[in-house]
Amino acid sequence: MTRIGVYVCHCGLNIAGVVDVEKVAKYAEGLPDVALAKHYTYMCSDSGQRLIQDDIEAHKLDRIVIATCSPRMHEETFRKAVAEAGLNPYLVEVVNLREQVSWPHSHEPEKATEKAKALVRMGVARVKLLEPLEKQKVSVEKGVLVVGGGIAGIQASLDLANAGFKVHLVEKSPSIGGRMAQLDKTFPTLDCSACILTPKMVDVAKNPNITLLTNSEVASVKGFVGNYEVSILRKPRYVDEGKCVGCELCTQVCPVKVPDKFNEKLSQSRAISIHSSHAVPKIATINPDYCLRLKVKKGKKDVCGKCLETCEAKAIDFEQQPENIQLKVGAIVLAVGSDVFDATKMPEFGYGRFPNVVSNIKFERISDASGPTGGKILSPKTGKLPKSIVFVQCVGSRDKRFHEYCCRVGCMVSLKQAILAREKLGGDVSIYVCFNDLRSFGKGYEEFYRRARDIDINFVAGIPSDIRMASDGSLYFDVFERGTNKLLEMHADLVVLANGLVPSDDIKRINELFHASRSADGFLLEAHPKLRPLECSTAGIFLAGACQGPKDIPDTVAQASGAAAKVMDLLSSGEIEIEPLKAVVDEDLCSGCRVCELLCPFLAIDMKKEGTVGREKLRAEVIEAMCQGCGLCSAACPTGAIQIQQYGSRQVLAQVDAALAEAQAKGGS
Amino acid sequence: MSLVDSMSMAKPNLESREKILSKLRGRDPVNCFQCMKCTSGCTALKLLELKPHEIEKLVNLGLVDELASSDIIWTCVTCLKCVQRCPQKASPYHVIMALRNLAVEREAKVPEAYMKAVSQILETGLAEAYQKITTRKMETCDRESLKLPKISGPKEGFQAAFLKALEERQA
Repeated sequence: MTRIGVYVCHCGLNIAGVVDVEKVAKYAEGLPDVALAKHYTYMCSDSGQRLIQDDIEAHKLDRIVIATCSPRMHEETFRKAVAEAGLNPYLVEVVNLREQVSWPHSHEPEKATEKAKALVRMGVARVKLLEPLEKQKVSVEKGVLVVGGGIAGIQASLDLANAGFKVHLVEKSPSIGGRMAQLDKTFPTLDCSACILTPKMVDVAKNPNITLLTNSEVASVKGFVGNYEVSILRKPRYVDEGKCVGCELCTQVCPVKVPDKFNEKLSQSRAISIHSSHAVPKIATINPDYCLRLKVKKGKKDVCGKCLETCEAKAIDFEQQPENIQLKVGAIVLAVGSDVFDATKMPEFGYGRFPNVVSNIKFERISDASGPTGGKILSPKTGKLPKSIVFVQCVGSRDKRFHEYCCRVGCMVSLKQAILAREKLGGDVSIYVCFNDLRSFGKGYEEFYRRARDIDINFVAGIPSDIRMASDGSLYFDVFERGTNKLLEMHADLVVLANGLVPSDDIKRINELFHASRSADGFLLEAHPKLRPLECSTAGIFLAGACQGPKDIPDTVAQASGAAAKVMDLLSSGEIEIEPLKAVVDEDLCSGCRVCELLCPFLAIDMKKEGTVGREKLRAEVIEAMCQGCGLCSAACPTGAIQIQQYGSRQVLAQVDAALAEAQAKGGS
Repeated sequence: MSLVDSMSMAKPNLESREKILSKLRGRDPVNCFQCMKCTSGCTALKLLELKPHEIEKLVNLGLVDELASSDIIWTCVTCLKCVQRCPQKASPYHVIMALRNLAVEREAKVPEAYMKAVSQILETGLAEAYQKITTRKMETCDRESLKLPKISGPKEGFQAAFLKALEERQA
């Protein structure tokens, strides 16, 4: 005889403010096999959990239904509580009265209460048919793959390596450092970006626990949490990493000029080049799209080859081939970063047409001592010192035509750049910031804003509609200022656009490779915005930095260290428990049609040959550690042979019957 | 809405506000965050003092009565720059058009030029009347002197169809 306990949670007023919880509890009491039904303010609290535990003992309950928030929130909490009272944790059913009832139906409390009753009725019907399950343990690989060598990837790698884990750091460009390496100074302390980043980059290269794979990309990912098999494609550099000493002689003789990506195309590098002055590793790389020998006459030895002649270390190797590296890792940290918004999409600001309209990342290169102007702020068109600079905020962000979100760094970047410009150009230059709302929310940021006002940086509350260029290359435009209610005509020698951060070009590939979902803004999606902000919904994959959403450096580093700590938590014991909610195959029913094998997104179905020779038959088998219990196979199986535990036809149909029971009683059909 | 315009003692008219909003599917002025981009670029600002952002905000607050009877809503020259460039797709132009409709509905005074244009269309079927032109050599020419074909009046039933179309747009 089943004895079910039903618990209705008020969730403060979240549920009880709409749903009549007392009525629902009373109703549940009358359902078949329900031994008792109670309602309580917070079921997830200590006393709420104790209430269930005490009842299990006192009333010999053997099945529990909890009508509360989404099971994504507290199912695990309740399973643990029930297990402590000696009941199998999989005999709990969570009914969602918050996200599915009280929140969406807040304007119709009576109907909401009816829906709550129906959901509880379905839960009770289902819980009777649940079966006790045991968690399984699998051993894990202690290696970790970190994808992306920006400050996020660097921080996560160092933390993990220092804790004793083997780290493989994969970076697609020839050097680590990422976006931060391009910056001049950092807000709100005005530390030189290189001074705080370069030592960390060198630490990565020196750390014996870190294998650094630059100029490489992840090609494929197989496996599951604790046991991922990753294949890395190492693109050829055409330079022997063991021999090159980074003397840069080759870059002086190479005749092919190439726009320098690191300098945001403000200057030119050569077809053979070193990524940047503080690159790690400091090794030359040949760009095969531009190199005369590699591109023009593939393989013909008589073309160019000037670098080959000059290199004293004999490091140039035109025969280098792409290399495949296989890795086994237990966890993966995604730190692929973000891109800067392309302002040519906004023709009204003239970016791309007017040379003196620059993006904020270009300004960083102009202002950086290792940049094309040697740190002098010069107008790109005339090469002269600008007399007036205007910063325009919210370019491409907070804009429904492009990206609706706030870029979270634009205001602070412009404040910093305005301060740098004032410091470098002196008091005679007029500096304006045209803004919507100035958001200086972080620690020390508001003080930084005040510092900018102190040194006579002017703030104009309003955004120009369009920017025009005069014949001398200078820029002029109208801005309506909301403080004064006046239309101001502004003239500037240099306009800096506060371009926002956008998801990187690679994000789609990352999403496919790692089954890492994306949110509506295009960035990678965390498993829960508050309770699991560092994890992907796929187990064993973690997120760090701006690939999860636009972030400044302090937040990025904090998230990277957090993700590293989560990896340690996952891997340190050497084995992990995995959920038993898996697909199971009824061998007698399986016809071997292979539909499940084709559909499974996790490659968890293995087709086995059975029977005597000549009368062989294919049968599906589930690789339990890889199955995520998504249910695709079960829905598609034509014979009903494959079912998800706890979510088989038996349990689901019982719920459907319960859902329809009331309607039939009322004479519906 | 519990606010009063202390300058004119006007109170919000929520009914009219709702009426305007209902005509602006997907172009809500409620999304406007007052970046002033529309006013910065408004063609009618310098000479006619049209400030689209103000209109957005007033409609948002429900202070539409004064707007609907004002001359300012008739100054928009429909260049549509604000529609193109508004980062919040709040489109002041569409709000202004909705306000004009409201004004007509309330039989507020519509500037003469607009009424002239309508009667012009009703009579001749043309938005712009053909006219005589004086050249630099001080010669006066019209279509006849230039031997251009005569333009015939509107077809029968045009007036009724035109008025009907106008009414349908109103609804």
